[in-house]
Amino acid sequence: MTSEVRPDTAVLVRERLSRDADDPDALFTLAALRANDGDLDEALPILDRVLRIDPRYPGAWILKAKLHGMRGEPDAAAAASARAQEMGP
Amino acid sequence: MSPPEERPEVLKLKVCMAGEAMVGKTSLIRRFVVDEYDDRYIATLGTKVTKKVIAAKDPRTGGPLDVHLLLWDVMGTRTLRDLLKEAYYHGAQGILAVADLTREDTLLELEAWASSIRLVAGDIPTVVVVNKADLEAERAMDEASIDAYCRVRGWPWSYTSAKTGAGVEAAFQGVVDRVLASPP
Repeated sequence: MTSEVRPDTAVLVRERLSRDADDPDALFTLAALRANDGDLDEALPILDRVLRIDPRYPGAWILKAKLHGMRGEPDAAAAASARAQEMGP
Repeated sequence: MSPPEERPEVLKLKVCMAGEAMVGKTSLIRRFVVDEYDDRYIATLGTKVTKKVIAAKDPRTGGPLDVHLLLWDVMGTRTLRDLLKEAYYHGAQGILAVADLTREDTLLELEAWASSIRLVAGDIPTVVVVNKADLEAERAMDEASIDAYCRVRGWPWSYTSAKTGAGVEAAFQGVVDRVLASPP
């Protein structure tokens, strides 16, 4: 196990999505990768897709709140934060 | 007539894993929750929450407590750590920080993980495990170094092996005990 090298995250995401285009784990990670690259316009719709597939996806509402905050959208950020609070830990 | 049994209180605890990719975070949860181990490495994508109920004693009352543990397994992708810190660690009450005995950088990097977590969750109880203890022949750091690194940060630590199961139950129990003993 120690001799293994972790595959690149973006490659893993592509592989997983090629098997299942609605894989929420892969989509969540893709949204994070896009946001990390500064591409919020692409990240947010992907995250919205995660939340349509699984409205309780762990951490997704909090990430959505953060991305709206980064885009200067306080109302949308507050709405997403409120949903996160409803979900609980 | 026997006295009525005391019904345990129920407490939900969010405990998050932390640490670099490939240290064995997912394997530790799998060993703890279903007592299984798979030698194949499957990188975690996204977030996985696993539940386990454990019995504990309420440190305030001494009465029985059912702890509903929510174990958050996270991606060890370092480049996404800052972006995802709120998503992962919001509301966390305890941390199991994992290093790999065969890679010293995985221990040294725990400080950065802890800093990230503190920004979101505050100074919550943190327990370190040095995993893959079964790979003693590939050890990359001596015990004194591990102890010095953890002691200066106030982190209790122990060895674990998700492969053999050694130390795994005690490590998770240690996090729960520390969370229960910490001020609300």
